[in-house]
Amino acid sequence: MQADFTLDLRGESCPYPVIYTLDALKDMQKGQILHVVTDCPGSFRNVPEEAVSAGYKLAKDPEKAGQEYLFYIEA
Amino acid sequence: MKSLYNRMFGQYWNPVMALVLAGIFSAAYFGLTGTVWAVTGEFTRLGGHVVEFLGGDVSGWAYFDLVHLEGSTFARSDGWIVWGMLIGALITVLLANNFKIRTAKQKRRYVQGLIGGTIAGFGARLAMGCNLAAFFTGVPQFSFHSWIFIVATGVGTFAGVKVAKTKWWKGKPKLMKGGPAPVAKREKRIVQPYVGSLIGLLYAGLIVWFFATGKPVLGIAAIFGAIFGILIERGQICFTSAFRDLWLTGRTLMAKAIVIAMAVSSVLTIIIIANYGMTPITQVASIGTFVGGFLFGLGIVLASSCETGMMYRLMEGQVLYLFVFAGNLIGVTLLAYSWDHLGVYNLLVAGGEKLNLITAMGPGWAIIATLTMLAACYLFIDLYSKHKRGTLILPKGEKKIAS
Repeated sequence: MQADFTLDLRGESCPYPVIYTLDALKDMQKGQILHVVTDCPGSFRNVPEEAVSAGYKLAKDPEKAGQEYLFYIEA
Repeated sequence: MKSLYNRMFGQYWNPVMALVLAGIFSAAYFGLTGTVWAVTGEFTRLGGHVVEFLGGDVSGWAYFDLVHLEGSTFARSDGWIVWGMLIGALITVLLANNFKIRTAKQKRRYVQGLIGGTIAGFGARLAMGCNLAAFFTGVPQFSFHSWIFIVATGVGTFAGVKVAKTKWWKGKPKLMKGGPAPVAKREKRIVQPYVGSLIGLLYAGLIVWFFATGKPVLGIAAIFGAIFGILIERGQICFTSAFRDLWLTGRTLMAKAIVIAMAVSSVLTIIIIANYGMTPITQVASIGTFVGGFLFGLGIVLASSCETGMMYRLMEGQVLYLFVFAGNLIGVTLLAYSWDHLGVYNLLVAGGEKLNLITAMGPGWAIIATLTMLAACYLFIDLYSKHKRGTLILPKGEKKIAS
């Protein structure tokens, strides 16, 4: 899937994946896609949850690739 | 079989279920042993062992009398709760193929972990317990100090969020144009579950050995420790996030789960106490409880984890939590030192007293008061979340243009 912006947050622990994701989405245009990569297990649940409750859409279901998590979020 | 494995280890468990189970098991552990699920008391003893190892003499430190620094950690039930939690969490991390050495890209995180861990360790022991003995297992023991601790931790975490949100603390990620990012290659052979099973078998052997050699208390502690470790890892139970996420974004999942689980645990515990005539574990409620709870709350947000969450995150391979663990040990040892040497006890704790709701108002009112307090917490969480969420959602179409 193509993305307009990518946040590589591997190595960041909670709550920074959530904070960074929401910060990045805030500055993007509606309809643009943000791709987020994390490896903090907590983020597998809280990143998509927080993005959705802040009013954004998941462009694709979250995916686990080995020990990493991939998200595509539509601003 | 494969789908069952996937359900158990391919995804995380519902945190409400994991926490309610933890609440039930902690009540059962109290019923069996008369002690509670706790970790920082043992951390303090470990700190004492480190000081002794470095050539210091702690025999005159009053705090170590208080927490009974005797023998080795492997001969103590509290010790096996800690080692069991670590081993249990490691086993399920491996079974889920989720172990990875995760290093922080921003080196400031390590300093933050050390600072936060130290403050949280100091605060927890000043308050006589972390999120377990002064909170999750403290409320169901009807020890009033845990009520003070909850409020103080709430205030402390609120302050912690203020600090964590500042630019210099938060740092900055690299936002790249385009995407996607290159991801790790798919592994050809998955070996972690085999290692996890092997560790599980060895650990089961150790538990059998404890029972066979007449050390049933250690065996029980080793079993319950592993259960607690598995539950907090599989449920990704994070007491820090319960408070922090509420202040940060109004997320309530973990906070509500904790409240529900404490209610279940309280009801079970009062039944156990009433039927078996056991004495609940009561800690001193004092100004120190509030100050300690505040410092604990501040520290756990700065460190990104409390003493409990740190344990399974360390087993996931998150290097940050080595620094948090080191900070915790430094913090508890500093508290143990300053307890009598720097007059912390006389200043903050001496005026307090042990107050247990059961002795103060009888078992009936104790459980009614506890459930009322928990209901009030639940209501507060719900209302605060609605207020917070209302302020966060952006009006659509009014977004800034990305630069």
